[in-house]
Amino acid sequence: MVGIGFRKDFSDEFLLGNALKPDFIEVAPENWMGIGGYWKKVFKEATEKYPLFLHGLSLSVGSPDKLDYNFLSNIKKFIQEYKPLVYSEHLSFSKCDNAHLYDLLPIPFTGDAVKHVANRIKQVQEFLEQKIAIEIVSYYTPVAAEMSELEFVNAVLAEADCDLLLDVNNVYVNAFNHDYNPKEFIKNLDLDRVKYIHMAGHTKVADDLIIDTHGEAIIDPVYELFDFSMQLIQKDVPVLLERDFNIPELPELQQEINRLKAIKTKALKNTAYATA
Amino acid sequence: MQLLDSTYQHQSKFAQFCRSGEYVAIPGVKEKNIGRYRKLIYNIVDDSLRSTYPLTYDLLEDQEWESLVDEFFSSHRCQSPMLWQMPKELMDYMQETDHKLLHTYEFLSDLLLLEWYEVEIYMMEDKAIPTFKIEGNMLRDSFVINPELSILSLTYPVHLKNASKIISEDKGQYFVCLHRESETGKVQFTDIKYPHIELLEKLSNEESGFDDLLEIFQKYATKEEATIALSQFLNSALKSKLILGFSN
Repeated sequence: MVGIGFRKDFSDEFLLGNALKPDFIEVAPENWMGIGGYWKKVFKEATEKYPLFLHGLSLSVGSPDKLDYNFLSNIKKFIQEYKPLVYSEHLSFSKCDNAHLYDLLPIPFTGDAVKHVANRIKQVQEFLEQKIAIEIVSYYTPVAAEMSELEFVNAVLAEADCDLLLDVNNVYVNAFNHDYNPKEFIKNLDLDRVKYIHMAGHTKVADDLIIDTHGEAIIDPVYELFDFSMQLIQKDVPVLLERDFNIPELPELQQEINRLKAIKTKALKNTAYATA
Repeated sequence: MQLLDSTYQHQSKFAQFCRSGEYVAIPGVKEKNIGRYRKLIYNIVDDSLRSTYPLTYDLLEDQEWESLVDEFFSSHRCQSPMLWQMPKELMDYMQETDHKLLHTYEFLSDLLLLEWYEVEIYMMEDKAIPTFKIEGNMLRDSFVINPELSILSLTYPVHLKNASKIISEDKGQYFVCLHRESETGKVQFTDIKYPHIELLEKLSNEESGFDDLLEIFQKYATKEEATIALSQFLNSALKSKLILGFSN
């Protein structure tokens, strides 16, 4: 399966036309929960046509604050209503000192943070009565790190016993920004936990800095890293094309989806898994 | 194991920098890159506020708008996990702090209210739409009101005039009804007066026909005037879908 991040910007053309045919759609529940009117109708139509994946923004599993059970309860109701195939969140924090920040901030790579975050993920999984997938986020500076990013991610996954959302573009971005080998990083992740993959474009803003904008087409080195990842994972995990800004004509997005499918099919052709 | 205070402090300083732009050293942080977070977050908040309050944004000087957004995001702790709901907190913040801009522009609080309610009515969860028929007899059948509405009481006519044209002499008592068209989801504005408010309340609470509604209008005018005014209002409300139709 290769899906697309469902955006209001292209919803009409997408739902009325045939230019874009993903296998599923992904949305941020925060943008669609508790609403009615026009967008509720559009969302309903989209979810009647396509399987749904949810990718949360505001749960803030890495926050020092207490978990927001009221919000989590709304997420649970939304999950029960729309029955998404996956609910994922970010390995980051977006709330601190009781203030939402509406973006994903890097958690300090420390031992106590591993325990704290893993415990919160466990609480979330217990409350939702399902495993969740956690995404490795892109980051532009480390914060008081006492261990490597890889050690931090693997430790959280093991301690929380959660699934991994492998955002291949984020690994590429982080490897560039923090000067490590992205293939080595991926090779040493606990790949058995990969439940879901994200692919996206990015923007290079300085000689030594890439920002994860989701505003450009995927570049070849990221496709290559995806190919490399699929060869290692050897499982038919769903893949999402994210495009949030600077959205091109829909056939261009379909071409990206086709290329992702082709890479995935080729990587898995010698295995027992059939690709969808 | 609890999060160590040192880890919490690092996160808190990072978050505080993103909210205020005031950096306090954090170990290991690349100072030249942390500003990206502040910029990205500020843009997200600014975009969300501009799209909710386009008229307020147009009204204020650039410097006033920027200072407002900056002050709001750094002093106020945003509570909504849903970004689209966050702008309501700006309106509440300005009221709670008796913000100086509310004195510079005496109609600003009405403008913010009107702009926020347009978003709220547009986005609010669906209400059960009662069954109704489009065709009916104005004089005999009961009317079915659109339940997706809200009535605002204003001191300045921000729903009638461009904000930049409003003057002190416009101060008075105004009412506007906002309703959502169920088919298109669009929000419509209707300038209303006392009898219309009573009419809308009556229709919201009980099935009522022309004669019941005429009683309300007759409190404010002669029977002849009331009949004309009521007929005009009902026709207009049926057209705008504020009144959906007639009961079956």
